[in-house]
Amino acid sequence: MNKIKLRQICFLFIGMMPITKLLMYPSILPYYAKNDVVLSAAINFILQGIVIGFVLWLSKKTDCTFFQLLQNTFGKIIATIIYIIFILFLLFSSFMLITEQKAFVINTLYENTHTYFNFMPFFIVSFFACSKGLKTIGRVADLCMPIFLFAFIAIIGLSLSNINFSSILPIGGGKLGIFKGNLISSCWYTDCLYPLFFLGHFQYEKKSFLKIGISYGIGAICVMLFLAIYYGLYGDITILRQNSIAHIAKFTTAFTSIGRVDYVFVFTLTLVHVFYTIVPLQFASNGLIELFPKCNNILASAIINFVILLFIWMFTYDFSSIQIFYSQYFWIFASIFAYILPICAIFLKKERSTTDEKVLDV
Amino acid sequence: MIFYECTQDNDMKNETKKTLGKKLKENLQSILEILTAEDILTYQFYTKDNVLCTAIYIDQITDKELLGSLIAKPLSLIDAPTTLEDAMKELYFPENSCEEDVTTICNKILAGNVALLIDNLQGAIVLGAKKISSRSVAEPPTSMTIKGPREGFIEDIKINMGLVRKRLKTAQLQFDMIQCGKQSQTSIAVVYLSGIANKKIVQQVKDKIASYEIDEVVDSSYIGKFLTARPLSLFKQVGTTEKPDIFCAKILEGRIGLIVDGSPIVLTVPYLIAEDFQGPQDYFASPYRATVSRFIRLFAILISLLLPAYYVAAQLFKLQLIPFGLLMTISASTKNIPLSPSIELFFLLVILEILLEASILMPKQVSLALSVIGALVLGDTAVKAGIVSTPAIIIVAISGISAYAVPELVGTSSIIRIILLVLAGSIGTFGILLGIALILYALLTMESFGTPLLAPFAPLVKKDLKDSLFKADLFDLKERPAVFKSKNKKRLLQKKGVENEQDKT
Repeated sequence: MNKIKLRQICFLFIGMMPITKLLMYPSILPYYAKNDVVLSAAINFILQGIVIGFVLWLSKKTDCTFFQLLQNTFGKIIATIIYIIFILFLLFSSFMLITEQKAFVINTLYENTHTYFNFMPFFIVSFFACSKGLKTIGRVADLCMPIFLFAFIAIIGLSLSNINFSSILPIGGGKLGIFKGNLISSCWYTDCLYPLFFLGHFQYEKKSFLKIGISYGIGAICVMLFLAIYYGLYGDITILRQNSIAHIAKFTTAFTSIGRVDYVFVFTLTLVHVFYTIVPLQFASNGLIELFPKCNNILASAIINFVILLFIWMFTYDFSSIQIFYSQYFWIFASIFAYILPICAIFLKKERSTTDEKVLDV
Repeated sequence: MIFYECTQDNDMKNETKKTLGKKLKENLQSILEILTAEDILTYQFYTKDNVLCTAIYIDQITDKELLGSLIAKPLSLIDAPTTLEDAMKELYFPENSCEEDVTTICNKILAGNVALLIDNLQGAIVLGAKKISSRSVAEPPTSMTIKGPREGFIEDIKINMGLVRKRLKTAQLQFDMIQCGKQSQTSIAVVYLSGIANKKIVQQVKDKIASYEIDEVVDSSYIGKFLTARPLSLFKQVGTTEKPDIFCAKILEGRIGLIVDGSPIVLTVPYLIAEDFQGPQDYFASPYRATVSRFIRLFAILISLLLPAYYVAAQLFKLQLIPFGLLMTISASTKNIPLSPSIELFFLLVILEILLEASILMPKQVSLALSVIGALVLGDTAVKAGIVSTPAIIIVAISGISAYAVPELVGTSSIIRIILLVLAGSIGTFGILLGIALILYALLTMESFGTPLLAPFAPLVKKDLKDSLFKADLFDLKERPAVFKSKNKKRLLQKKGVENEQDKT
């Protein structure tokens, strides 16, 4: 039910991982890193890549799930507490992604009045997806990879005519700003935690390091290319241009006879974003089932989505405050949970699982 | 053929097993006690030595010519046989059997066979003298082709089985016969190629059908419903076709087919949604043309689903989505329309559905009048009266026509189109996106006998992409679809020593 293929994880990195870094991130990072956005992002990607490498090494040594590893090492009670903390962290990080998406949707897809009601149906989709297990993440990744690449290449292609790459020169001038940019952007790089939740649900194959490394690299290149182009387009005023995927190609298309055709690709990327935003909720929902086996899929999904829905509703009009909180304070937790703790996971007792479930061929 | 009984008439089942004796009168009485209808006839004749014989049959579905020439005549020329086996030797009849159980004999009579009782002999001879009138094999109206075979299945299961056997002259082709329907006792042939089809799925199909007890199986769609994992889903989960060539191609891929007596539409499982984008003549046209056609079908279905919703979302929430020049034209046409775009489109889509429904049910002679009323009176007058706008009519027309590029999905797409329209009218483009996401999640999680509906796209099965939206050349389709996990993978081998023209060049 919850088995996924290594290929699907690779596709997740190519076709879904970049998307959360293309909405607000390209306009927030230059505030700190100035024209060194690519350099700053590259450091984050290298750190994230190292974490993923460690988790992959762990997957080679064990076929237990993350919760089983915690149980083997710390016993049931402490393992449950640690796992709950991780689930809460997933919820916190997904809260930012959903808030960001909500702001993007409201600012980009509407010209007139909107209410929080406009965004709330998102949770119907999320509820449905969370109730269907982790297998859907893999299948969604299969579907999203070509869709993302097609839309991404199209939107980049449309934006190329207006770029001034000299804006990102000289490289390395940002000094401390580069590292400050690193720290504040930790909350956009929490997805390196996801492979930890895939543990036990996929089989380590030959050349897994290479396959995941290449796909992760492609995803990272997509983000860095986007950052460079976006900064090349807007230069110093990039920080004022949030919702970057809606702005990157608009000068090429707005005054043509076909109009804002780039919106077709913006919608496509938004669809991928919807899918990716649900992923941490699916992990949290699955985690809840692991912790409490009596809790069925529907109940777990309902609890997780209700909690997030409640938070989103409570902070409907506080997007700026949330963004400030996440960039100013949350990066500490993000760094610990996304970078440090997954590396610590390699010290957990690595035992072979007793279950004999094989990964499905398709 | 294997007879695998799914349901039986409860009244017959509850009776204790009754067998025939030697006295003809008593035997006849026991059968006629069960078969009381007036269309059940008896024909009495005597052997040369004056022993009474009685044939029991049903008026309209038994071949009386055969009864007379091959049953009554030979027996009347000889002395009474001493055993049923001896009697069978005298009757040169291909389908015959000796039966003693009254219930079995009654069931066989009801199926159109003749039961022959001979005085002083225990049991009855059942002779297959069925004669059911059926229409001739013709091109099915739902899948016409310019190139390629034009045969279509009809309502008679025997003829349909013959059409399949004619194309697949192999000992591997199996027809496992089962019956379903408490009252109708409808015959169903489970068709597969042993060694190619997955035996587990064959058994699952039989078990699923056997798990339902229904009065009558009117059409194959009833069996289709039995085979679906999610009966309430909007999406079909069983493949259908009316053409033997397509059916045989699917069987050769490792699928399992079901021919239901009384229905010209045969079923195939496992079903993949990509099947519906494959046209009947894709395999007879050039692969480039076939690929283009399949992409056009995909594009058409997207247009059909999204165009009305997109138009409404653009007008109500995001005018930027429409190019400026076009926006001016639209606004000039819509400025005096009293209805909001969403209500206007909703109203027109409902009218379209009514017209389609009426055109199917209406007699052919009236359909021309209906077209005039629909297209001219309703469309033209409604625009002139200022009730609906011209762009709205154009959009509904394009959407309606596009849906028919994939006829198998017309029913589903018309419902989804209205759902997306309502979402677009309520929350704009984000509503459309959420609707699409929900549909994709629903499709991603659906499986037909363990095969994901969206395969080979999600999960990705690289080998099977060759015949999905893309259509590779025949020489590249060397293997059966991997998604069906067939044991026999190869379907095209080039014999050694035979050089291909392509290789020479």
